[in-house]
Amino acid sequence: MATTTVSVRPNTYAGTAWSWITTVDHKRIAVLYFVTSLAFFALGGVEALMIRLQLSRPELDLVDPDRFAELFTMHGTTMVFLALMPLSAAFFNLLVPLMIGARDVAFPRLNALSYWVYLFGGIFLNISFIAGGAPAMGWFGYAPLTATEFADTHAVDFWAFGLQILGVSSILASINFIVTIINMRAPGMTFNRMPMFVWMTLITGFLIIFAFPVITIGLVLLLFDRYLGTSFFLYQGGGDPILWQHLFWVFGHPEVYILILPAMGVVSDVLPTFSRKPLFGYAVVAYSGAAIALVGFGVWTHHMFTVGLGPVADTAFAISTMAVAVPTGVKIFNWIATLWGGSISLRTPMLFAIGFIAMFILGGLTGVSLGSPPVDTQVQDTYYVVAHLHYVLFGGTIFGLFAGIYFWFPKMTGRMLSEGWGKVHFWLMMIGFNLAFGPQHQLGIDGMPRRIHTYGADMGWDAWNLMSTVGAWLIGLSMLIFAINAFRSLRSGRDAGPDPWDGGTLEWSMSSPPPVYNFAEVPVVDDRYPVWKEKRGGGHTGAVVTEPPVAESDHEDDEPHIHMPNPSYWPILVAAGMVLAACGLIFHQIFVLLGALIFGISLIGWIEEPPG
Amino acid sequence: MRALMHGTHLRPSATGAAQRVMRRVSLSAALVTAALALAACGVTPQTVLEPTTEAARASHWLFMVVFWSGLAVFIVVEGALLYTIFRFRRRRGDTLPAQTHGNLKLEIGWTIAPTILVVLLAAFTVPVIFANAQEPEDDAVRVEAIGHQWWFEFVYPDLGVVTANELHLPVGKPAAIIIKSEDVLHSFWVPALRGKLDMVPGRTSVFRILPEQTGTFQGQCAEFCGTAHALMRFTVVVEEPDEFDAWAAHQLTDRVPPTSELAQAGEALLTPAGCALCHTIRGVTDIGTIGPDLTHVGSRAHIAANTMGMTRTDLEHWLRDPGDMKPGNLMILPRELTEDEIEALTEYLMGLK
Repeated sequence: MATTTVSVRPNTYAGTAWSWITTVDHKRIAVLYFVTSLAFFALGGVEALMIRLQLSRPELDLVDPDRFAELFTMHGTTMVFLALMPLSAAFFNLLVPLMIGARDVAFPRLNALSYWVYLFGGIFLNISFIAGGAPAMGWFGYAPLTATEFADTHAVDFWAFGLQILGVSSILASINFIVTIINMRAPGMTFNRMPMFVWMTLITGFLIIFAFPVITIGLVLLLFDRYLGTSFFLYQGGGDPILWQHLFWVFGHPEVYILILPAMGVVSDVLPTFSRKPLFGYAVVAYSGAAIALVGFGVWTHHMFTVGLGPVADTAFAISTMAVAVPTGVKIFNWIATLWGGSISLRTPMLFAIGFIAMFILGGLTGVSLGSPPVDTQVQDTYYVVAHLHYVLFGGTIFGLFAGIYFWFPKMTGRMLSEGWGKVHFWLMMIGFNLAFGPQHQLGIDGMPRRIHTYGADMGWDAWNLMSTVGAWLIGLSMLIFAINAFRSLRSGRDAGPDPWDGGTLEWSMSSPPPVYNFAEVPVVDDRYPVWKEKRGGGHTGAVVTEPPVAESDHEDDEPHIHMPNPSYWPILVAAGMVLAACGLIFHQIFVLLGALIFGISLIGWIEEPPG
Repeated sequence: MRALMHGTHLRPSATGAAQRVMRRVSLSAALVTAALALAACGVTPQTVLEPTTEAARASHWLFMVVFWSGLAVFIVVEGALLYTIFRFRRRRGDTLPAQTHGNLKLEIGWTIAPTILVVLLAAFTVPVIFANAQEPEDDAVRVEAIGHQWWFEFVYPDLGVVTANELHLPVGKPAAIIIKSEDVLHSFWVPALRGKLDMVPGRTSVFRILPEQTGTFQGQCAEFCGTAHALMRFTVVVEEPDEFDAWAAHQLTDRVPPTSELAQAGEALLTPAGCALCHTIRGVTDIGTIGPDLTHVGSRAHIAANTMGMTRTDLEHWLRDPGDMKPGNLMILPRELTEDEIEALTEYLMGLK
C-alpha cells in the first residue's frame, strides 16, 4: 500500500527564487536554514582543517600566528553561532509544526525575519576576512585583548555587532517557537504527549531568551568601550576585565546546553523509532532536560577557576557543576533503557544516535573532571579542554544532529539518503573523530596549551598532534561523502513515502515532503505516538491522513480551501536594514541612516501588510 | 503489516562498494593509530603527571580519583550500551516488543547512583580546594611574577632582584608568587609545581609554592594573549638555599664589565643601536623599563621567553630579525644592525653572566 503514496510528491518547494525570498512557510525556511548552516559548517570545518595542518608537526610555518588566531576565533564563532545553533533551528522549523499538528509557526513572517537576520549576520561576520582582518582574540573575546589598544582594526567590531545581530535572530526564533509550542498544539497534544524533540525545543527557547540578553549587555558595554571611550572592562579607567568573563560565561555556559539539548531531543525520538518501543521514562527525560537548563545558569565560573575567585566561590561552582552530571546521567540511563528489550535496527539514523550516546558519555565524564577546581587548574586552557568540548559538541551535538538529518531528510525531501554511504559516513566520522580528539586529552595532560600556533619539538607533543590532524582530515573526508550522498540522493534517491522508518509521531502521517498546509484536517491526538497507535490498530484518531486530497493534483485550484499566510518581502528588508546599519557603524555613518530608514519603512510596511 | 514492511532491511546497490571502502579505511586508520601510539611514548617536560609539590600532588591525586572512577563509569555505561544493542538487535521474525514506558524504582535508582558518585567526588574535592588556597607564610620568599606581551618578568621586592623568564626559588622554602599583568591576560603555569593562576591586569593574586625538589621545571603562558602567545615560556630553577642566595647576590651586582675589544664595542652600541631605550643594563644604562632587564642576561639559559637558546647562533639570529623566530614580538630595532654590530652585541650579551 505504500507504493500508492510514494509516487505522489507535493510541490512544496516548487517556485521561483522570488518565492523563496518571500516565503513564510516553515518547511521552506527550514530548507534555507539547513543549506545555510551546513555551508557555514563546511566553512568552520575548513578553518579547523587549516588549524590542524599548522599543528600537525612542531615548528611549522604554514599559517602565520595572526592568521592562526583568526582561524581559531572564527572556527569557534562560526561553529557555535553560524553552524550548530542554526542547524538546530532548521530542525525546529522543519519539525515543530509537524510534530504538534500545526499548519505553521505562530508568527510566520517573524520566522522569515529570523532566518534573514541570521544569513546577513553570518555574512557580515565573515566579511571581516576581506575587510582588514577577522577577529583574532578567541571566540570568547576576553578583555582586554578586545580593547582598542590591542585590537585597533574593526575585527572586534565585526565580531561584536555580528553577535548582536545573530542574537536578535536567535531571540526572535525562540519567542516564535515558544509561542508556537504553547499555543498551537493540536487538540489532545498535551505537554505530556509532545515528542521529546518539541520538549527540548521549548526548553532551548527559554534558555536562549534568558541567556542571550546577558551577552547582549556585555557586547553593548564592549562597544561602549571601543566607540565611546568608556572603561567597563579596562582597569585603567576603573573597570575590570573579569567582569567580561562573568558576563560572557553567564551566557556562555547555558549556550552549551542550547547547543546540546536539541540534539538530545533528536536522539530521544530516533531511539524509540528504531527500537520500536516508546521512550523510557518520558517525564524524567523531559524534566531532566529542564533541570540541566536550570542548573546551567548556575555553573558559569567553572570556566574561571584559574582566575582566583577564592575557595568559597570555587567550591560552590564545583558542586553546582558536578550536580549537572545527575540529570545528564539520568538521561543516558533512560536512553539505554529505551533500547533495552527493543527490536533494534541499526539504520544510519540509529547509528548516529547511538554514536551520540557513546561519545557524549566520554564528554560528560571529562566534564566532571573539569568541574573539580584542583584538577581544572592543571588542565584548564590546555588541549584537554579542547578534547572535552569537542566530545560534547561534536561527539554529542553533531552526531545527534546528523542522526536527525538522516532520520528526517526523507520527510523533508521525499527521498531517502543512501544507507550504504550513510554508514560509510558514520564509521569514517566515528574513527576520524576519536582519532582527532582522543589524543588531545593526552596533549592537555602533557601540558600543551590551547590557542598556540606552534610548539617546540622538545615538548613531546608531535605524535599526538599528527594523529589528531589525520583524524581531522578523516572527518573532513566523511563530510565530503555526506555532501555527495546528499546531492545524489536529492536527484535520484529512493522515494521515501510518507513513513519510511515506521515512525510514531505526527510528521510520519503525511506525505514527504509534507503539503504546504501540513495537515488537511487538524489531527486529534490521544497518545504520545499517535501514528504507531493508528498503525497498530488503535482505532482512527484522526492522526493519520495517508492520502491528502491535494497530493493527487498539481493545480492550485484543486487545493482544499486552507488559509495559509501570504508570502512577504518585508522580513528580508527589515533584516537588510538592520545589518546595513551595523555595516554603517564600521564603514561609514551614511549607511546607518540608510539602514535605519530601510528598517523603519519595512517595519511599517510589515505592520500595514493586508491579510492574505 | 505495514510496520513489518518498514522493518525489513533494504540494501541499496551502493552498500557493497561502500562496505569495501569502509573496510579499507578502518584498517589503515587502525594501522596509523598503532604506529603513532608507539611513536608517542616520548619525553614530555610539561606534563601534569609528575607533580613535585604538595599542591601539585593534591591536584594529581584528585585527577587520578576522577580518572579511575570515570573510567569505571565509562566501562559500565558503554558496556551496558553495547550489550543492549547486541542483545536486542532486530532479528527476522521479531514481533512488536513489550511497550514499556518506564519504571519508577529503576529511575529513582539511577538518579541516586550518580548523585552518590557526585557527592563523593565533591567530598574529595572541597578539602583540596581549601588546602591549595593556603596563604603563603609571612617569611615566604616574595616574587612578583608580571606578565608582559610576550615574556615573564620576575621581581623579588625584598631582595631587589629583577630578572626575566627564569624564576629562581630555594628548595624547601615557601614562596609567595604575586601575580600581575602589565597588559592583557596571561597565565602563570608550571605543571610540576602547581595548577595555573591567571595574570589579570589591574588585579593582584597570590599563591604559595613550596618546592620540594631541586631541578628546572618548564612553564608556559596558558591564557591566549595575542600574536606570540605560543612563544611565551619560562623556567623555574629550584636550587639549594645557598645556591639561591649566591644567585640572588650576583643578580644584585652591576653588569660584568666587558673585557674583550669586541664586547666593549658591543657595549658602546647600546645607546646608538637603540637597546637602551627599552632595556636596563645596570652599570651602563637604567632608563629602559619596557623590555627585560639584561644586566645578567648571559647567566640565563634562554632568550626570547625561553623559545631560543642563549647561544651565539640564536642570539645573532634574534638580533638580525627579532620578528623572524618570534613573529609579532614588540622588540623593534630602530634600524637594521650591520653584521659587525650583531657580532659585537652578541659577544657582549653572552658575556653578561
